[in-house]
Amino acid sequence: MANNVNQATEKPMTADRGLRSSAKSQPKGNFFKAVSAVVWKDLQAEFRSRELFSAMLVFSLLIILIFNFALELDIKTRQSVTAGVLWATFAFAGTLGLNRSMAIEKDRGCLDGLLLAPVDRSAIYFGKVISNLVFMLIVEIIVLPIYSVLYNINLFQPGLLLVILLGSIGYVAVGTLLAAMSVQTRTRDILLPILLFPVVIPVLLAAVKASEGFLTGADFPEILLPINLLIAYDIIFTAVAFMVFDNVVEE
Amino acid sequence: MQAKPVTLKVLDIVSIVLLGVSAYLALVFAPTELVMGDVQRVFYFHIGTAWTALLGFILAAVFSIVYLIKKDLKWDRLQVAAIEVSLVFFFITIVLGSIWARPAWNTWWTWDPRLTTAAVTELIYIAYFMLRQGIDDPDRRARFGAVYALVGGISAPITFFAIRLFRTIHPVVIGGSNAEAEGSFAMTADMRVAFFFALFAFTVLFIDLFWNRIRLGDLQEKVEQLKLKVTM
Amino acid sequence: MFLQNSTPDTSGYMIAGYAIAFIVMALYVASISLRHRNLIQDMTTLEEMDKPAVKVEAVNKPGMPPAKTVTKKNGKK
Repeated sequence: MANNVNQATEKPMTADRGLRSSAKSQPKGNFFKAVSAVVWKDLQAEFRSRELFSAMLVFSLLIILIFNFALELDIKTRQSVTAGVLWATFAFAGTLGLNRSMAIEKDRGCLDGLLLAPVDRSAIYFGKVISNLVFMLIVEIIVLPIYSVLYNINLFQPGLLLVILLGSIGYVAVGTLLAAMSVQTRTRDILLPILLFPVVIPVLLAAVKASEGFLTGADFPEILLPINLLIAYDIIFTAVAFMVFDNVVEE
Repeated sequence: MQAKPVTLKVLDIVSIVLLGVSAYLALVFAPTELVMGDVQRVFYFHIGTAWTALLGFILAAVFSIVYLIKKDLKWDRLQVAAIEVSLVFFFITIVLGSIWARPAWNTWWTWDPRLTTAAVTELIYIAYFMLRQGIDDPDRRARFGAVYALVGGISAPITFFAIRLFRTIHPVVIGGSNAEAEGSFAMTADMRVAFFFALFAFTVLFIDLFWNRIRLGDLQEKVEQLKLKVTM
Repeated sequence: MFLQNSTPDTSGYMIAGYAIAFIVMALYVASISLRHRNLIQDMTTLEEMDKPAVKVEAVNKPGMPPAKTVTKKNGKK
């Protein structure tokens, strides 16, 4: 009898029992569990609806189309301009993904649910960053071959892929933080690009420079410099965002 | 609301006087530069405003950190004042930079690191105010403002160095022997006097405007509180 | 002083530059004063609105002599 009573009080029947019980174990396990919970939720939701993904993809293709008419992409110019066109495309399509990703949280009240969980706020941040990053990378992976085909340039070089990864990380690290803020303002979607673009210029600059380097076969030391900048930017801003994210989702 | 403190009234007058003297030194005392002529004189005010705007920029980032730690709205008001004054001064910097570039290098804009970073910082400031505009809750507004000012504060110097390291600048130069070269023309002793005095005058002016703007923010706070009290 | 024939007359630009600098600074100072004045006006208005409420409270407080002046009923609760 006494045992039953003890059992009943030990594990309350709540929905977040999973998180609660792991809270009793090491806090680190709790953290990773929370992060993966967020990521998994986003990926599952997106897999079912594919709304974010299709919007970003179509938007990217349309941007490439616009660039084709806006710039004279003859063979010579293509070489020098490809890196810029690619990154402009990613930057614009990226805001779409970031906006929607955060808006979904707010509109469906998922954010409140996450905030109730006994877990460090930064777990939400990392979870969102990872899922946003995954979406962005998937879109980029699809855009690359399409651009390659349209303009007869081989974009599948490991160096370029590395740059795209590093650049996307930086972009998403800052973008997730800023999107979390902008979605809580009156102006919402419109505000994100205005906040994000001035701040993400170093990423664009370095990424374009490094991409160009790989595409035109420049010397490695020359390419190393922008790559180092990308890595530094990624580290600095992930750390800063991690530290301040609490202030952005407090109620 | 208390009347303006005497120190501030004095500072107001002192700032105007110093500004006038600086203008005199720049326009009359300093010699005419040989290659580009009189337009070079805008350089003194260009650097004066640039230096003080930079000061405001650094202050704003510091206030961000302090606010996020202490959560005292006083620091938020300080930050708004710093950014607003800095915004005005950077604007002057950018316009003067452009006016200087036109006759000197036959282009309205040089994408050199300093000017470009000033423009980017200006955009960050504008974004800062647009962010604040969209938030009604003063606490949230302060928090978001602080976060963005911090992010911007770290990003702008990185932008500066990135441009410096990666951009090969091709200014369209007619007549000048070197590229904009970060404003290097040989300065004579007289020019140096005008230069350093401009720095000094603008620093004093910045402090004066900063202080006035803070008082405005404090008054705004009092009015807001009174509004709440009366409509309760 | 000898004039090199290559020193161009760019004083027009100089005047434009200084004019803009002074105008912008003046506009900013004007903006601060204007906002200040508006806030002071708001302040006095709000203080006015605040007063009758205080008088009403004073009348209703037990033990206090009734106010001799007529308090304005301004429709506030």
